[in-house]
Parts: sequence; structure tokens; C-alpha cells
Amino acid sequence: MGKLRLQNPSRGAKIRISLLILALILPFLPFISDYILHIVILIFLYMILALGLNIVPGFNGLLDLGYVGFYGIGAYTSGLLTYHFGLSYWLIIPLAFINGAIWGILLGAPTLRLTGDYFAIVTFGFSELVVLFLTNEIWLTRGPMGLPGIDVVSIDLTLFGGPKWEFIGELPYYYLAIVMVMVTLFVMNRIQDSRLGRAWFAIRDDEVAAVSCGINLLAYKVIAFAISAAFGAVGGSFFARWVTFLSPDMFKFWESFLILCMIVLGGMGNIWGVMIGAVVLVSMSEVLRELLPLLGLPVEGRFLAFGLIMVLMMRYRPAGILPIPAVAAQMRAGRVKRKKVKPTVGMKK
Amino acid sequence: MFLQQLVNGLVIGGIYAMIAVGYTMIYGVIQLINFAHGEIYMLGAFFAITFISFLGLPFYIAFLLSMTCCAICGVLLDIVAYRPLRQSPRLAALITAIGMSIFLQNLAMVIWGSRPKPFPHGTLPAYFEKTAVTFGGVNLSWFHLFIFGITIVMMFGLNLIIQKTRWGKAMRAVAQNKTMAALTGINVNRVISYTFALAGALGGAAGIMVGAFYNSIYPTMGYIAGVKAFAAAVLGGIGSVPGAMLGGVVLGVAEAFGAGYLSSLYRDGISYGVMIIVIILIPAGLFGKVLKETKKSM
Repeated sequence: MGKLRLQNPSRGAKIRISLLILALILPFLPFISDYILHIVILIFLYMILALGLNIVPGFNGLLDLGYVGFYGIGAYTSGLLTYHFGLSYWLIIPLAFINGAIWGILLGAPTLRLTGDYFAIVTFGFSELVVLFLTNEIWLTRGPMGLPGIDVVSIDLTLFGGPKWEFIGELPYYYLAIVMVMVTLFVMNRIQDSRLGRAWFAIRDDEVAAVSCGINLLAYKVIAFAISAAFGAVGGSFFARWVTFLSPDMFKFWESFLILCMIVLGGMGNIWGVMIGAVVLVSMSEVLRELLPLLGLPVEGRFLAFGLIMVLMMRYRPAGILPIPAVAAQMRAGRVKRKKVKPTVGMKK
Repeated sequence: MFLQQLVNGLVIGGIYAMIAVGYTMIYGVIQLINFAHGEIYMLGAFFAITFISFLGLPFYIAFLLSMTCCAICGVLLDIVAYRPLRQSPRLAALITAIGMSIFLQNLAMVIWGSRPKPFPHGTLPAYFEKTAVTFGGVNLSWFHLFIFGITIVMMFGLNLIIQKTRWGKAMRAVAQNKTMAALTGINVNRVISYTFALAGALGGAAGIMVGAFYNSIYPTMGYIAGVKAFAAAVLGGIGSVPGAMLGGVVLGVAEAFGAGYLSSLYRDGISYGVMIIVIILIPAGLFGKVLKETKKSM
């Protein structure tokens, strides 16, 4: 089978391979400036974040409004370990992953028993507390002054007598980001098809049915939340070493909202949809950032558009641009019922 | 010091209570956390300042007018954003609510700018600044008394409406069971609109009073106030109107003492902390009993 596929790749595989090739040669195309490269890296970063967040609302049907808290934890883990101990980025990635997962478990274990809206609110409160902590614990994080001068990523082979290569400019980060997106994508695809993924889908589609099939709701939800948090933290660790400056303002609720918006736009639970959502919203955000001042409007106004997108999507296409059938059916369920069975609506509990 | 903090806490707590009541009423009738409620509060303050500075209306008339506008905004919010999603899963409605909140907040930023605005000099009634009562070394200005008075009057009025009038009865019926209420001939959608109007008017009034109290109005003011009021509603048991009132006052006092005696840096953290602890330990809150009925999605 493997050989056959290599000779005759399916349409999906062709698209994926050509996208990857395009991504690899993109920096060498003539019209690509450093600025555009920067934005593409930003898109990749948000892809990682959105794929991570997607696990909770997309795979489990729970609303997580505090995702940026984990992103911030990861970023500051990375920033502080670099700032104080000069730790290598390659060690920081697993540490950030573990730290994110630990916080995910700490927050998730007591709260995932709650119903949807309560859970959403608790996660929101958590992310606000993270921002407050980062702002006020000046001895640790330098607070609102921010954490400047974080080292860039480097590949240090001096231990083995090799050279030390520092990441300068956008190009090396671009390829690092591609690798990270690929890894995230691989993990997500594998999880989706695993026992774990199927258990999550069962929970999303019908909790009661899932429980009666022997799925331990709390355990599976906590695992989902921890993995999601861990990917958020990894995204944060990359962010810290890429922009080399951190401040608590970067981790406000807006970011959670933006990432959630990507998922909603692309299609909750659909890995490719979520990535498209990241591409669309980051590009749109950058275009509006240029465009709005020309129209004499404040830059923050671009969130106006994001809010509107969110509302309109929920109204007209609640399962996103690339809907997956199960979510689409769930989102439509109530409406269809209402149209067809209106006279008997009283019978429905 | 103690008394001063207590007074501050009560004033702020009363205002939280007025916003929290809106959250809890709306949650009661449609089981939705109306994230955009904080934005209605912010709009209230902006309406008032617009009426005063552009139309030159006196404070009290602007106050009433902008309460009315907020009530209309609340109803519009429901009709435009939430009503089409009545039958959808909770997740969809919740995401819409967040979307509307962000939308309104940024709309205000585009219309009025992001800088904090004060009320134009001399437009607030002059006696507000004057000291009304002094006891135990604490000066109570007339403005404190005004806020106390308005809060108490509105809370009593609201209770009267809910307990004694036909509309209040209909609201309680809808909160208990929408389908049965519809069967008895109650126009459910109209009752929901009415609830949004009440919640909007109260939220707007709270916004104006806070805006005038700190004399600073800015588009993101609704965000933090909204979260704190929501924490108050949770503390009181969401769905319970007296619970929300008590929750608001308790939270306001706790915040004033916490900021005064523990750490003013974590002032906002107190309400988030209270909220998380209450949700984890006693999710039904002080007075709530609604949680069981609304366990899973509608």
C-alpha cells in the first residue's frame, strides 16, 4: 500500500505536498520582504495556537476562554529560563510543554466537571489572573516594564566541537516555525484518529452516550485540556524567543478571542479549517492594521470586524468555512427541528 | 479607615449589584451568559456624556434618557444577536455573546475614541461634591448618598416588578419553563425582550453613576465591570435576583477591604478569585438552585 501511494498520491496528498513545497521556497520568491516573512511566521505561530485550542472547543465541545493564559505561561517560562539561566531553546520546548500541561491539569481537574458556561467563565478568570500575576510580581517578571533582551534561538554545537549558529533575522525562525507547525499537525492528526480522539468526539457528540460506553468523562477532558494547554505553552515559548521581548499586555483576553475566532471561522474540530482560519484572520488583522489609520480610525477597531465575524458565523454558518459533519449537524439540530416540528414543540423537553 | 473602606465597598458593591442583576435575570430567562451586558453598561455612560455635552441636557434628564437608550440597546441586542440562536446549542449562543461584547466595545472605541472622557466641567449637579454627613471621621458626599439612594430604589422597584406585576409573573414563568409558559399564552419572546430592557436600563444606570463617580468614561470600562458583576451574580447564585444583589454588595465590600488591607495590586484579582472558588466549591452560589435544571444544554 505504501509503495502504491507514493506512486499515485491522492488529491489531498498532492495538495499537501505542494503546499509544503510552496512554504519551503516562499522566502526566496521575489516579492517576499522581511515584513511579509514576519507575518507568515505569525500565521504559523497562530496555527500552532489555534490547533492547540481546537482540542477543547473543537474536539470536546467545551468553550475555553482562557487559552491565552497558557500561552502567557509558556512565553514567560521560556523568557525567564532564558533570561536567568540562559537555557537552550531545545530544552525549553519540552519544559514549556510540561509546564503548560501541569497548569492545564491543575485548572482542568477541579473545573471540568462544570457545565459549559461555568467552565468558560473559570478559564476566563484564570487567564485574567495570569495577566495580573505577570503584571504584579515584579521581582519575577519585571511586571509592566516587560522582559527585554531574551536571547535568540541558537543551535549550539560547540560541545561537540562544532560551530554555534544563532538565529538572526526572520529566515531561520521561518523554518523553525514550519517544523513546529508540521509537528503539531502530525500530533493532531494522529490524536484525531486515535482512541483518545474518538473518545473526545464521543464526548462532544453526546456525553451521556459516551459515559454509558465506559468513557471516563473527567479523565478524558482533563487530558484534552492539558494537551491543549501544553501546545499553547509551546507556542508561547516560541513567541518569547522570536520577538525577544515580553510584556503582560501581550496576553490579554483579546488574544484568546482572536484564536477562538480562527477556530470558529475555519470550522470547529476541523484541523485544516482551523489552519485556514489562522491564515485568514492574521492576514486580515495585518491588512486592517495598515488600512484603518488611513481611514482615520483607531487600530483597535479591527476587533470590531472580528466580533462581527464571530456573530455572523454563528448566525449563518455556525460550523465554519470547512464544517465537519458532526459539528454541523449539532449546530443545526435545533433550527431544523424548529422548522419542521413546530406544532409539537411542547412535547420536546 | 475601616469605615471609609466599608462605605467605598458599599457604593461600588451597589453598582456591581445593579449590573449583576442584569446578568442573572437574562440567565434566568434564556440560560445565556450575556457577555455583552458589560458593554451596555459602558454604552450607558457614553450615552449620558453625549446627551450632556452635545445636546446640553441637564444631568437628570440625560440620566433617564440614556437609561431608556440602554433598554432599547438591550432589546436590540437580543433581537439581532440572540433570538436567531434560541434553538441552537449553548456554545453558539455563548460565542455570539462574546462576539457582540467585542463588537460593541470596539464600536464605542471607533465612535468615541479610546481616551478616557470626563463629564464636561460643571455639568454634574454642584451639590454632589459637598459633604452631606460626617460620622466617625468619614465624609459622605451627596453623591455617595445619591448612588445609595438610586441603587436601593431600583432594587426595590425591580423586586416589585418581578414579584407583583403581570410582567414579573410572566418572567418568572418563562424562567421556570419556556414551553409551559408559551402554552399558557405568554408571549415568550416579548417577555425575554422585556427582561433585556430591564437589565439594560439597570446596567445603563450603573454605567452612568460609575462614569460620574470616577469622572472618567472609556470603552473598555464595561469589560472589567462586567466580569466583576458576573462574579457577583455567580456568588449569589446565578438566576437568583436577591442573590445577585447580595453578591454584588459582598463582592464590593470584599474588594474594598482586600484592596485596603491586603494588596491593592490584586484588586481585580479578588473578584476573579472569588468567582473561581465559588464556581468550584459551591457552583449553585449562595441562593442558587437553578444549576440542576440547566445541567446540560437546552
